[in-house]
Amino acid sequence: MYRLKFFIDFEKEEQWLNQMAKNGYHLQSTSFGYHFQRGKAENAIIKIDFRKFKKKEDFIDYCTLFEDSGWKHLAGTKNSGIQYFQKVDSSYEDDIFSDAYSKASRYKRYANTFFELAISFIPLLIVFYLTDIIDPKALINPKELYLTPGLWAKTGTSFWFSFLFETPFALMRGIAWSFIPVTIILYLFFGYKSNKLYLQNRE
Amino acid sequence: MELTKYLPLTETTYYILLSLLEPAHGYIMMQKVEQLSNQKVKIAAGTMYGAIENLLKQQLIQAVESTDKRRKTYVITEKGKDVLQLDCERMKHIVNVTEKLLSPIGGIEDV
Repeated sequence: MYRLKFFIDFEKEEQWLNQMAKNGYHLQSTSFGYHFQRGKAENAIIKIDFRKFKKKEDFIDYCTLFEDSGWKHLAGTKNSGIQYFQKVDSSYEDDIFSDAYSKASRYKRYANTFFELAISFIPLLIVFYLTDIIDPKALINPKELYLTPGLWAKTGTSFWFSFLFETPFALMRGIAWSFIPVTIILYLFFGYKSNKLYLQNRE
Repeated sequence: MELTKYLPLTETTYYILLSLLEPAHGYIMMQKVEQLSNQKVKIAAGTMYGAIENLLKQQLIQAVESTDKRRKTYVITEKGKDVLQLDCERMKHIVNVTEKLLSPIGGIEDV
């Protein structure tokens, strides 16, 4: 089964995944959404960490440390950031963190990833501006976005036909670039939310 | 080099440094810390991984060659030993002065 969902709050995500396991849905992978496999209902303890790794060995070492201490790595890759673990050995504690600070630090790393993503879009914004793909003048005079020769001299049905025909193209020319600032703002917002959780949880 | 900036060590950090007087990987360190602290300090995997990362950055521990391909092995550095020694001295003083002031014989009325 596939579910598309997005969380900033890891605790809520953990609770949701535990509930899914209780209903018999077991997390398989998390590439763009959640993939579950139907199985037996289970009282699972799933915990989430956020880490990215430079080297493959570092990632293996990380997963092995968790496996050694009774946590199975369920999903997550070297670069995915979010890492999912399920408790498989009842002789250990119920959490992958033993103090509030290290538990809160995962939000700090999550926030930094969002801020880095936001910054990485800024060069694209500059390039689009310099190549006139972003044209602020068009916002003041939207007529510039219509390229049909003599459009504004036409009248009646002929005008409306040409005008309505070209409007979708004009919109694309005029505002398609706005996905970049929208993306940047969204990333900054997620970064802000995540950083807030860090500050709240670190004590 | 100013070592006092690392002081006071947290209980967790102190035991982790103690656990690395001999080379060990993360899971051995977790077990050693538990044993050294009489089962009082239990470090979970996520916390241990972060602690190792910090201590490496501060150069209080270092990675060493190991035959185990899946687990990295670490050992305390000279700098780490110096910091451990300094914090031990600090706590010794606290223990001495506290015992002197709190004990029934050399008690408060004598001071």
